[in-house]
Amino acid sequence: MRATDNQGSFLNRISIRRNQVVSMDGNHEQDLEDLELFQKYVADRFSDLLSSSSDEAADSLLSVSWLRKLVDVFLCCEAEFKAVLIMGRDPSQVSKPPLDRLVPEFLDRVVKALDVCNAVSHGVESVRHYQKLAEIAVSAFEQRPIGDGQVRRAKKALNSLMLTLEEKEGSNHKSAERAWSFGRRGATNKDRAAPGQFRSLSWNMAKGWSAAKQIQAMSANLVAPRGAESSGLASPVYIMSTVTLFVMWALVAAIPCQERNGLSTHFPVPRQLGWAHSMFALQEKIAEEWKKKKEKTRLAGLLEETQRLERLGQSLIELADSFQFPAEAERLEEMASQVAELADTCKKMEEGLVPLQQQIREVFHRLVRSRTEVLDVLDQVGKVSAPSM
Amino acid sequence: METNLSENSPSFGRKLDHPPNPREDTEAVFYANQSSETDRLPKENVGEDDRNVDDEEIVQGELTASSGPVSDPHLNFLKVSENIDEFLSSLPSNTDDNNENENVVPVQIPHELIDTFLDLVEAKLSKLEGAAQCGDPDEDLSFLEAVHRISNLTKSLRQLKLDSHGSRIFNRIGGIHQRAMSFLEEEFRFLLEESRTTGSDTKGMQDQQLQMESETTRDMINFPGYPDDVVSSMNKMAKEMISGGYESECCQVYMAARSNELEESLHKQLGFEKHSIDEVQRMQWESLEREIATWTKAFKQCATLYFSGEKALAEAVFSDHPSISASLFGNLTRGVLIQLLDFAEGVAMTKQRSAEKLFKFLDMYENLRDLMPSMESLFEGECGDDLKTEINLARCRLGETAILMFCDLENSIKFDTGKTPVPGGAVHPLIRYSMNYLKYACEYKDTLEQVFREHSKIERADSINRPQYLEDETQSLNNQNETQSRSPFSAQLMRVMELLDSNLEGKAKLYKDVALSNIFMMNNGRYILQKIKGSTEIHGLMGDTWYRKRSSDMRQYHKNYQRETWNKLLGCLNHEGLNVNGKVVKPVLKERFKSFNQMFDEIHKTQSTWVVSDEQLQSELRVSISAVVIPAYRSFLGRFSQYLQAGRQTEKYVKYQPEDIEDCIDKLFEGNPASTARRRP
Repeated sequence: MRATDNQGSFLNRISIRRNQVVSMDGNHEQDLEDLELFQKYVADRFSDLLSSSSDEAADSLLSVSWLRKLVDVFLCCEAEFKAVLIMGRDPSQVSKPPLDRLVPEFLDRVVKALDVCNAVSHGVESVRHYQKLAEIAVSAFEQRPIGDGQVRRAKKALNSLMLTLEEKEGSNHKSAERAWSFGRRGATNKDRAAPGQFRSLSWNMAKGWSAAKQIQAMSANLVAPRGAESSGLASPVYIMSTVTLFVMWALVAAIPCQERNGLSTHFPVPRQLGWAHSMFALQEKIAEEWKKKKEKTRLAGLLEETQRLERLGQSLIELADSFQFPAEAERLEEMASQVAELADTCKKMEEGLVPLQQQIREVFHRLVRSRTEVLDVLDQVGKVSAPSM
Repeated sequence: METNLSENSPSFGRKLDHPPNPREDTEAVFYANQSSETDRLPKENVGEDDRNVDDEEIVQGELTASSGPVSDPHLNFLKVSENIDEFLSSLPSNTDDNNENENVVPVQIPHELIDTFLDLVEAKLSKLEGAAQCGDPDEDLSFLEAVHRISNLTKSLRQLKLDSHGSRIFNRIGGIHQRAMSFLEEEFRFLLEESRTTGSDTKGMQDQQLQMESETTRDMINFPGYPDDVVSSMNKMAKEMISGGYESECCQVYMAARSNELEESLHKQLGFEKHSIDEVQRMQWESLEREIATWTKAFKQCATLYFSGEKALAEAVFSDHPSISASLFGNLTRGVLIQLLDFAEGVAMTKQRSAEKLFKFLDMYENLRDLMPSMESLFEGECGDDLKTEINLARCRLGETAILMFCDLENSIKFDTGKTPVPGGAVHPLIRYSMNYLKYACEYKDTLEQVFREHSKIERADSINRPQYLEDETQSLNNQNETQSRSPFSAQLMRVMELLDSNLEGKAKLYKDVALSNIFMMNNGRYILQKIKGSTEIHGLMGDTWYRKRSSDMRQYHKNYQRETWNKLLGCLNHEGLNVNGKVVKPVLKERFKSFNQMFDEIHKTQSTWVVSDEQLQSELRVSISAVVIPAYRSFLGRFSQYLQAGRQTEKYVKYQPEDIEDCIDKLFEGNPASTARRRP
């Protein structure tokens, strides 16, 4: 899904206007108008997100489909921002103080966001793995007639799921191994990572890379422009920085990521500013979820579907434990309804995770591209790249 | 299993000395109990759905099994298996689910036979799971066959309406099926993880290991390094798991094992370290350069060996399921490839701007470009297209950066606005730097041509900031033929040369002495021409017309210089004005000699400090100066020296003999400051 939703976009307007008025010094009034439009755009998109998040039906907060919306909002805001910042603008405007400082700082945040994108992308891979395990359980539980074999198969998958949900970050495969092996492992262990069954498939980030630190670093120097600056280009740069930070933070909170210990629940979203109202409200909600989760269970991320897998998995394991052949009708019914919910969750994941991953990759490429374009503009002024001889 | 494993090697990869699992033991007991149970199943739980259970439909009974007690357990097993197969083939084909109502053929379930069969399988399983002894390939094969029968039993019986007896036996089958599948899964994983010929400390792998030690490089060639018999075992196991409905488990195990292996190979064998993009931006060039070299190697290895090996393995293991092997291979390579490409993206983002760095970037670019064909044949379908796009994107990024780096030379030239002229009109460092840069760059001519052709047009649908060279391109369309046919890279090169020219002209103006200014132009012009002559690539790009034009410019500078310096001097030797009414005017003659001497002294002093380091140019200049000055002086001297009194007067006015002049001319342009006080130019 590409963020080419032109509705409410003022991108075209700007380009038309800019083509008409070629002003070398920058037209202050026009800038103000652009800024207002941009703020309104951001406010509207996030208010949509907020209202859909309270909507119990389809895209509840932190569900896969909600995250897809979030990423989409990001892509849209990003396109608008680029229009405001560089389209048809005299490059020298972008290189004047305070932008000569703010823009490179922004680009630095963009680089960090790229790593976050990659980490989240790996994380989605882990979530897909959760999904696969849950699907095994679903297919086993759905077998009729159901017998001990099916139940044991399902339980095995669910146990594995539970362990995987907890094992992230510390990556302690030991426990997984003990629970899973036929007892044939003990004598054969090697110095490599313990071959826990159903080992997670995610590709790791660089050693020592920490999502929490990265988010922290992205929020460094992020200060709302004051006074005269607040009506200039400094504002959109600040807004986009905040949007980027918020979106990356939400993704990191939702999807398992390398090293999230100490992920801040607060960063400076300026609640007093109109465009940030909804974002602030969302942040509060997510932060609350984050705090609610116990340290251990938080590792798998706040993704709604993941939490559902966790809850259903736990309960189905209990049901499986008490399963006796032949099954009683009552138990089967109880089981069936939970299995149906589990299947439904898996279906949502199946439908949404790959597209989400693709969207995140799109964000990655978009950020790279935009960064290049901004640098290009700066290059034209020749401020960024001092001639190196 | 048609394998030739040595005594020591495991059959499926089984390990020695496994303590039997207590849990499995209890399960075995549990099953033993169950088999004697005769629970009655509530009617509504029987069957797949809520169809009516008609007792009459299900005829209970046993197939009159010819399974009398046979003393040899092996023979017994064979016999029982045969009977099971008979039973299975006696069942109506159940491919059509919709026909359930018509499926009225009563089925007799041979309980006793199945129980006997299950007992035997269970015993086999327990033996295998315990596996204190190394496995027997025949035993493994018969186990796989047994698993296959169990899968078929499961599938077939599920289609039937079962009574309580049938349900009990179905449950038992299901339990053993699960147990067998779990066992297979473990074995499959074990083979994947432990049976590579590079496996270091696996017992039973010693034979292969010994082989390996003698040929360590074989590992590189023989990726992923599973012996053929292991691959064939894995293939059989995968087949059984998939046909038994355990495709997910099988794929998960495969993915986990292979992705770990790939990661490890990438890291341990190729030395590829993961770096975050952020980290790459902060890296010192020296470290980055090292990482780029590693990356180049690793990428090549992946593209030419690892990926194809991975694909061959997936296809061999899942030979009956091309879609499974394709998806597994796609996911595996994607993980590795994206990591590698992200490094390239990270590098492309760094602000490395100088000549030798450009070349590293171009190396990476060439790597991605040249390895694309070999990867193209590997990647198929949607996933493959996606990967190809990713590779191309990374290549674009590198290309764009390379363009920026190359175009940065423009900035270097534009921003070189120093106000201090080079002493003696020598070659300016900027020219030296730029020309050497271009010479090196042109060694990558073909790649740069491609880079400029393909990546200049950065799609900026939403931006009207267009790079300069694009505008030039459009402009040049209106120009003469030669520029019209220029490639974007040669247009860029031309642009750089034009910038250099205008920069030179500006620098030439810094010299107050017009003659020196011309010497400066000659020096630098010659340097440029020499460099271009020395590089067929640049020469080819700039074209003959350009070269000829430059050469003629050089002649013009030469003429200008000659005129500025020597025409004035030759004025002193002009015969005009010396003869008045046929008589030589002596005071004028003396004055002429005097000013000639003065002027020549001055020129000699000054121009000895000037620098022409190109020997050929130096000699050309001297020759041409001598050619105008010496004959004129000789003739002037021959004609007029007689009018001076010999002795004192001649000594005073004829300071130089023509030979002296020649000597002096031969000392010009040596950049020798000692001959006279330094003059400001």
